[in-house]
Amino acid sequence: MDVSRMNPIVAPPLRRSGFFADIVAGLRSLLQGMGITFRYFSHPSTVVTQQYPENRATLKMFDRYRMRLSLPHDENGFHKCTACRICEQACPNGSINVVSRKGAVTGKTELDRYIWRMDSCTFCNACVMACPFSCLKMNGDFECSVFDKSLLVFNLTRYAGPTSTVLMKVENPEERRKLWEPRDVYSGPLPLRGTELPGGGKTLGKPEEPARSET
Amino acid sequence: MSAIVTTLEQRIGRGATTQEFFVNMGPQHPSTHGVLRLVLKLEGETVKDVIPVLGYVHRGVEKMGEHLSYRQFVHLTDRLDYLSALANNWAVAKAVEKAAGIETNERIETIRTLVAELQRIASHQLWWGVFGMDLGAFTPFLYGFRDRERITDILEETIGARLTMNYIQPGGVMFDLHPDFQRKVKEFIAYFRPKLEEYETLLSRNIIAQERMRGVGVLEAAQAVALGATGPVLRASGVAHDLRKSEPYGVYGKVEFDVPVGARGDCWDRYWVRIEEIRQSLRIIEQLIENIPEGKHLLVKPAVRTKVPEGITYSQVETARGVFGVLLVSDGKDVPYRIHVRTPNFNNLWAITRIAPGWRVADLVTMISSLDIVVPDIDR
Repeated sequence: MDVSRMNPIVAPPLRRSGFFADIVAGLRSLLQGMGITFRYFSHPSTVVTQQYPENRATLKMFDRYRMRLSLPHDENGFHKCTACRICEQACPNGSINVVSRKGAVTGKTELDRYIWRMDSCTFCNACVMACPFSCLKMNGDFECSVFDKSLLVFNLTRYAGPTSTVLMKVENPEERRKLWEPRDVYSGPLPLRGTELPGGGKTLGKPEEPARSET
Repeated sequence: MSAIVTTLEQRIGRGATTQEFFVNMGPQHPSTHGVLRLVLKLEGETVKDVIPVLGYVHRGVEKMGEHLSYRQFVHLTDRLDYLSALANNWAVAKAVEKAAGIETNERIETIRTLVAELQRIASHQLWWGVFGMDLGAFTPFLYGFRDRERITDILEETIGARLTMNYIQPGGVMFDLHPDFQRKVKEFIAYFRPKLEEYETLLSRNIIAQERMRGVGVLEAAQAVALGATGPVLRASGVAHDLRKSEPYGVYGKVEFDVPVGARGDCWDRYWVRIEEIRQSLRIIEQLIENIPEGKHLLVKPAVRTKVPEGITYSQVETARGVFGVLLVSDGKDVPYRIHVRTPNFNNLWAITRIAPGWRVADLVTMISSLDIVVPDIDR
């Protein structure tokens, strides 16, 4: 190793001059430190603590913040997922399960359920990166705590029904909406049986509610 | 100690003696920085011997790595030394790039260097706060976290995560820099330089802190080398070893910075080396932030499982705590045959067995803190 390239700078020794001089210098050092504390104490505007539950209305997460996985649907309720399972293979711990089916009319493979297990997800973003159709997004919705671990299994597809090719032929959007079969976001092993989700079911029941970062 | 024993005997008579006894420090102890268990052999309050007991957060990362693709393995390294997640990612990325022959461009290397240096500062800020708290001063903890939050915000905006970042990938970085990155980093440097002076006034020049660090826990250079200690612990013992200088990776070869080394190897030197490293990291960032080269930020398709040709590759980076190395043994598939991780904290921890004997329990807390241990990195 070439030590000369290192440019080492050596730690200076702590100087001690004499008994009384040290007492004076020591007292001054303590007072200087206390001065900093009192300066912040007397300037409350420098306090930076976020009052979290109170500032929920104004709290804005960064656009790239990686939290809840979502499968964005457009205004017609369509998503771009083709059930190619690349995200499932990219996931390091098997948190994603893509359930596909044969389309009743077209006979092509299409997405039936997109099951995401938040309880084992590490938010590594590998699925979002791997998706060739950019149909996945991790949004900034970080308030996901529940009292039961089994409630952390989500179904990201919001609607089931005929494929988009069939649906597009239906002109009237009202008629089209009738063909959809709304899906519960919750797809855990235990059926919900109409019980309310912990926390009022607000977070879990309304995935279409945009995250604060997007508003 | 013998003086006290004789006094006790004289006072009580009847041949009262002291005896050595064993005390568990941890795994649930506030100053062992995680689930580290130290079995102390004490005589009164004097530490005779320290036996670290490991394995409380063992997750088998190396074995898990044998079933994951190289890209997937990166996210596990976040969880080793969680305060240098980016440097750990970089070590894996570097190893895979070296083995698979992936070329990166100047922009990728600059981004990697920038974020790794930012995280080194953040890591040292956190250490500074916790070190103050271990000495009994609660105020540094608040100030350290306050300033660390600035860096965390900058990184969060670009990366999308605060701790387990999984940002540096084989063949590039996950996202391009956020448009606000340069402005915010410049703002941070302007903000943080005066704050660093404040740190010095608050703790470095504090006579109580100085006296608790000076001469405590001297680790000789020869001992440090024999233990395999790296990073600030080794440099504080007077050995100028820094991978950023000795085998430059990233763009460290193009920037100017100094390597702070200690003179005696006591707690004060370890403290001073880290504070000085913050300054040097600021210098590196200042040199790089002005002109970040243009280019693509990811050169490999993310969905592709990189195949690595048969062979053994080793690569190492300098994290905030020392040398983090990754050994890849490949049999030509897209998953490693064996992956070994050399973590700095495992070696640094054993310094405690050399420096602690003879000191009091209160000094032991100072020494553990001055080694800056992250326990998941030890057990992995």
